[in-house]
Amino acid sequence: MQGTYDVAVVGAGPGGYVAALRAAQLGLRTLLVEKDSLGGICLNWGCIPTKAMLKGAEVLHTCREASRYGVQLQGLSFDIAALVRHSRQVSGTLVQGVAYLLKKQGVTVLSGTARMVNKGQLEVDCDGSLQQVRARHIVLATGARARALPGVAFGTPGIWSYREALQPDTLPQSLVIAGSGAIGAEFASLYSDLGVQVTLLERATRIMPLEDADVSQYMRTQFEARDIQVHTGVSLEQAAPVTAGVECQLLHEDGKRQRITAERLLLAAGVTPNVEGLGLEQLGVTMAGGFVAVDQWCRTNVAGLYAIGDLAGGPCLAHKASHQAVVCIERLAGVEQVEPLDHSLIPSCVYSRPQVASVGLTEQQARLQGLPVRIGRFNLQANGKALASGDASGFVKTVVAADTGEILGAHLVGHEVTEQIHLLALAQQLEAGDEDLARTIFAHPTLSEAIHESMLHALGRPLHQ
Amino acid sequence: MSIQPIEVPKWGLTMEEGTLSRWLVEEGQSFSKGDELCEIETSKIANALEASFDGVLRRIVVQPGVTLPVGALLAVAAPTTVDDTAIDAWLAARQGAAAAVAGTVAPVTTAPVAAAQPEPEPVVSAPQQTSQAPIDSVPAALRGATPDDMPATVHALRLAQREGIDLSRIAGSGRDGRVSVADIARAVQAAGGQLSPGNPSQTVQRGDDSAVLATPIARRLAREHAVDLRDCRATGSRGRVCRADVQAVLAGRNQRIAGEQGDTMPDLQQGCTQQSMSAMRRTIAARLQASKQDAPHYRVCMDMDLEAMLALKNTLNQATAELKLSVNDLMIKATAHALIRVPQLNAQYDPQRQVVTLFADADIAVAVSIDGGLITPIIPAANRKSLAEISGMMRDLATRAQAGTLKASEFQGGSFSISNLGMYGVSQFDAIINPPQVAILALGAAEQRAVVRDGELCVRRQMTASLSSDHRVVDGALAATFLRELKRLVETPALLMV
Repeated sequence: MQGTYDVAVVGAGPGGYVAALRAAQLGLRTLLVEKDSLGGICLNWGCIPTKAMLKGAEVLHTCREASRYGVQLQGLSFDIAALVRHSRQVSGTLVQGVAYLLKKQGVTVLSGTARMVNKGQLEVDCDGSLQQVRARHIVLATGARARALPGVAFGTPGIWSYREALQPDTLPQSLVIAGSGAIGAEFASLYSDLGVQVTLLERATRIMPLEDADVSQYMRTQFEARDIQVHTGVSLEQAAPVTAGVECQLLHEDGKRQRITAERLLLAAGVTPNVEGLGLEQLGVTMAGGFVAVDQWCRTNVAGLYAIGDLAGGPCLAHKASHQAVVCIERLAGVEQVEPLDHSLIPSCVYSRPQVASVGLTEQQARLQGLPVRIGRFNLQANGKALASGDASGFVKTVVAADTGEILGAHLVGHEVTEQIHLLALAQQLEAGDEDLARTIFAHPTLSEAIHESMLHALGRPLHQ
Repeated sequence: MSIQPIEVPKWGLTMEEGTLSRWLVEEGQSFSKGDELCEIETSKIANALEASFDGVLRRIVVQPGVTLPVGALLAVAAPTTVDDTAIDAWLAARQGAAAAVAGTVAPVTTAPVAAAQPEPEPVVSAPQQTSQAPIDSVPAALRGATPDDMPATVHALRLAQREGIDLSRIAGSGRDGRVSVADIARAVQAAGGQLSPGNPSQTVQRGDDSAVLATPIARRLAREHAVDLRDCRATGSRGRVCRADVQAVLAGRNQRIAGEQGDTMPDLQQGCTQQSMSAMRRTIAARLQASKQDAPHYRVCMDMDLEAMLALKNTLNQATAELKLSVNDLMIKATAHALIRVPQLNAQYDPQRQVVTLFADADIAVAVSIDGGLITPIIPAANRKSLAEISGMMRDLATRAQAGTLKASEFQGGSFSISNLGMYGVSQFDAIINPPQVAILALGAAEQRAVVRDGELCVRRQMTASLSSDHRVVDGALAATFLRELKRLVETPALLMV
């Protein structure tokens, strides 16, 4: 029976393509519909290409510091076009990789725009030719896009979203970034390292407001030391193109207004889910705050309809989408011992310089929940590996339950901490406590030793501080 | 004259273990090659194990309900001329050898009695699959309940509790006279008994061991190898069962894996391919061939007008987001109601005993096509289920059928079957009865037809339903009565609400 599947997935981002792979792997007849490129925003315009750009910025930074290690570099120059080329190439390679994986698992891939015409029925517009698809289960994974601000529309000359910021023809002199979450902070760090005068705006009272307050404070100091202008408690009221670029009107908390002009303005003030054109309303899909409402197994209120990833609510992270994809598919396929996503176990990573990585509760969240906590800290200034590498900025902060020793949260700042956070995520997952981590042998010299020391500190027996 | 093992077979590539459901041959009974010896159930299939040689079943080693890995010993066959002691010796040797080759792949061999003559080494970690095998024995002098205040290690206390040992009868060597596991082992040996670490005292049997403290690795390893965590000594940190504890149990288990009996294929003409029949195909083949040969099939067909039912379906689907009814869901419901009104069709027939069992509820098996075959998951008591329940259950069962995650209980049994090929555009077809049931309903597509109603030619959506019945049990008039009742319900679906 053509056009009939066990599972049809709409959207081939890190949620959708993983859902399709897992479904096919479990022997289900699976269709994946994508209107743009396989891999979604993550592979094409998000996680991956930004990391390629940030690597370029890091290399440039290292070259500037080279004389410290006795390396003399003369006539150092930087070509943004070449870096953009590298970034696009990496994305291209990974997109091909996804196509290969889908083929290998036997997923049928349809290039077109899908719309639900009825329960269990999709109509896919493939370049004008309409295809009808029936599926027992439809998984929506259409993701999200950059959110516009009132008074500041995309498409205005000089106003960027992450998409434009990832492929500039030339470097602007100056850049204002509205929003200091992961996206804003990464681009601030990137463009600052590339020599652009960056101004970072944040509506909350501190930058990176979802992170622990100590992280926000530390990163602000770091950014300001690099001549990044940081304004907190400020909102962007209006932005209009002028000869010199974009004029931004800011409203400070105290009611004062301020005008600043920069060559470019990047909007990084959150994302909005792609709910339009899917036929959600017609089917009576229940929504929650603009997102599709789902239960712990990613089921919507409509029979046989599921939503995963950004579409199903935050945090809007690729790894959360992939995890939900597996949970959703395994549950509907009857795999035993599937556990719902535990939101407290989702790590978060920011690839700025220095990097920020965290998992679990912040100290404030833990205290607000009335949990008895012990805090462990360690500063990378006292870590041999960090000093030897010439980058000792950063720290480790661990939030431990005072009574059970459970790791409630961990907050890391420093070089490559995005690779180290998993050790703490694993500890949380396995309910390994502070004593277990303290007993674990950490290799020397490593940056991870800072985590060990932080544990010892929380236990009241630090050795190296 | 030799002793031959009867082992858990490997049916299909993915089969790793099987559960013995019942013995079809008794101890002492002789059998011929091809006879069914016992029934074994896997996650995918239940099938009978056929004898590959002529012999006499001398010793049943495993009782029904036990789950064992592929290649594990089920029973021993030998000619009546072989005496019991030879069989005991062979069993001991086999289990000693199994412990020695644990983890390696050993081909199935027929062990001659002579090979078992040398007295086997004392078996230290043999699986406890048979009452005849050497087992841990705690001398009566040490038996009893340990007083509450007895100083002992956690592990020692647990072992004592499991083996029924009174620790106050054992001198402790630890601090303040605490008794350790080693003290217990020494005392047992000194008193003439035997107790070996990692040796389960019970047959390997699945049960709820979720309360046992264990590391994630140990739990997973135990689950994969069907080891009950309660049979493991907990030597890990904080009294948890750790990986080594599970491995100790596994080491003592028969791990022989019967090599795939690779059939050599004759040379093929170019362009041709040969596929060996999967376990599922073989089951389908055997069952349906038997049904067609044994049961005198005949068919009765009836056209049914679907307009009212389709209108009801659309009304319900549009009114409720949570509902995604298909024609099939409604037909299951209507069939269930018709079966309650004509109970002679809601039945199973046992030709051996000449008994027909009529069921109070309609457990409807629905044929679901999956890659490589078909399977018939069951909607139990469909007559008592709401349309929403039937619809949701059907979607779940069909998905899990394709994913291969149905439990045996979900596709075995049933009092009646439905096969629907409507989605393929089939107008009408005949189905083969799924024994021991006595009838099966074959449904065609809902299609527009030119029909005459009240003397007028008009276009109506209709479906043809064909009932195949076993004439040994169901006569034509009865089949017709059932179809007439079904037609009434389908054409006036409001009756389903009564």
